[in-house]
Amino acid sequence: MNLNMLYETVRQALKNIASNKFRTLLTMLGIIIGIMAVMIIVGLGNGLTQSMRDSVSSMGMNLLQVNVFGPRARNVDIDEMYAITEERPDLFSGISPIVNMDRTSSAVKVGTKSFSQTTAVGVSEAYAGMTGTTIAKGRGIQFVDCAEYKRVCVVGDYIDRVGYGGNAVGQTIKLGPNQFTIVGVAAPEVDDPSLQEGSSDDYVYIPYTTAQRVARNAVADTYGVTTVTEEQVAEGKAVLESNLQELTHSEDSYFVTSLSEVLNTFSSMIGMVVSVLTVIAAISLLVGGIGIMNIMMVSVAERTREIGIRKALGAKERSILALFVTEAATTSALGGLVGIVLGYGVSAAASPLVASLMGDTNMSISPSPSSVAIAFGVSVGIGILFGYLPAKRAARLNPIEALRYD
Amino acid sequence: MSALIEFDDVCKYYQMGDTTVKAVDHISMQIHKGEFVAIVGQSGSGKSTCMNIIGCLDVPTSGTYRLNGRDVGSMSKNELAEIRNELLGFIFQQYNLLPKLTLMENVELPLIYAGLSRKEQQERARTALQQVGLGEKLNNKPSQLSGGQQQRASIARALAGGPAVILADEPTGALDSHTGREVLGILQKLHKEGNTVVLITHDNSIAVQAERIIRLEDGHIVYDGDAHSPEAVVQPTFSVQADEAEPEQEGSA
Repeated sequence: MNLNMLYETVRQALKNIASNKFRTLLTMLGIIIGIMAVMIIVGLGNGLTQSMRDSVSSMGMNLLQVNVFGPRARNVDIDEMYAITEERPDLFSGISPIVNMDRTSSAVKVGTKSFSQTTAVGVSEAYAGMTGTTIAKGRGIQFVDCAEYKRVCVVGDYIDRVGYGGNAVGQTIKLGPNQFTIVGVAAPEVDDPSLQEGSSDDYVYIPYTTAQRVARNAVADTYGVTTVTEEQVAEGKAVLESNLQELTHSEDSYFVTSLSEVLNTFSSMIGMVVSVLTVIAAISLLVGGIGIMNIMMVSVAERTREIGIRKALGAKERSILALFVTEAATTSALGGLVGIVLGYGVSAAASPLVASLMGDTNMSISPSPSSVAIAFGVSVGIGILFGYLPAKRAARLNPIEALRYD
Repeated sequence: MSALIEFDDVCKYYQMGDTTVKAVDHISMQIHKGEFVAIVGQSGSGKSTCMNIIGCLDVPTSGTYRLNGRDVGSMSKNELAEIRNELLGFIFQQYNLLPKLTLMENVELPLIYAGLSRKEQQERARTALQQVGLGEKLNNKPSQLSGGQQQRASIARALAGGPAVILADEPTGALDSHTGREVLGILQKLHKEGNTVVLITHDNSIAVQAERIIRLEDGHIVYDGDAHSPEAVVQPTFSVQADEAEPEQEGSA
């Protein structure tokens, strides 16, 4: 078929669609809903992945977390962990023990007010840098603090704001029975103050040596380790694992995870959920396609005489086929376009709502350009696929019988 | 000069249950370029089947039909479609204009299938419509026109492609006698301009407007000759309930 013929076919198909607006709209509905649903679901998946990536990447994608546990955990002490990382300065850029304290010695009190959601952990001077925490006021934990078991601490924005009205630096805070001097306040990470309690802005960092001393059973069972570059994460993980294997002689006593690994696991989980939902949404596309086939069957029956006339005037089978397939594809493509636009609209409208439900202000439903292209392609494809059978039936009509039909 | 339309022992049989209907039974005839021929017969005489074969909508069961020297019987559906587009112009009893298209668009239809350029389509369609006196109604829909005007539009559609044969199937059947005469006048004018016109009708008074009459009865030619000869309009033999055994049974007029 030449270009001129194609143009004529599209023109005639559009004309016929335009003359049957309401029916066309009903026919498109299945496609509209299907495409819209796919767009929103894919957008939601993209948004989730992106917001997770954003919040994690601020902590640094070069971060490895080491957990040591079980009866042989005592074989690994802080000095040995430091030794492992210091042996490879080309690979490791920092290490911080993370000492979790028991309930009693980590109960946070400002004056008489308890902060039950606040976590208190012992860390090294390297920890803030590893997790992307910036100090807004005062100073951070320093090497000397750790070396001299100083009773100082850095608090999150929440404690500063709620406990001290923004003037925490220089004041004292109680962790269990012990008094600590606040030397610094970290910059907030969560934008919405009402969401800060118990969040990543609600903590007290003390030197890990002090933590071990004040909390009698506190073992450094967790470490944060950073590699020099993000690409070295896998190698760093392998090095840590082989060293820990040597120290513990047990594969069940340690666990090294990288943030990027966790992220990838979550991403693939989200991806899986999104694909399952997409498949479900795609069922409505299938139903939409069947709707198109149905309407095209009706249209062919109604237009039998027209088909006869066209054939008498010299239309070949393929011209009739092209006419009806084009009509189905155009209807479906229009439905796809409407679905894409509605999908974008609903995404934009729902983004703030979802973001507030998720407690994460970065969250937005963002359908990717490629998903738009795919959605459009799929809707055209459905039209061609489901329009073919009715069109074939039309093309094969006997012109004499078709002309006689009323 | 070879004939434009040439039937050589053409048969068309249909199987209806157990009986074979011989709609066209061993017909041989020739129609030359420039003739105005009426094929006339009662319903069931085989004239519609004859028209379908001439119009390349159907192919003979046996025998050969040559249109412009080409054997139609051996053609594929696509070739038949091309032949219809190129050589034939149809005029139907019910006009058969597409109701959603304007007159221009209706007349353009065969030109689209001929693969003409957009510009040429429009030029030819306009000329054809002007030729039948509808130059003022180019953008009207068929439903806005009278029956006579619609039939004229369908004549324009038949003419637009410059066909070798204009095939008119009961063109006045749906019209009152006055507009019917008007339409016949157009056909006569087209004939005078050199077109070959084949008119299919059951009505003798219409048939005599042609130059030559081919009368069919039960699938056979019973008369083929001058339209103005007294034999041409002889009362037909009736075979309302055509009986295979007594095809020549006389009926009352």
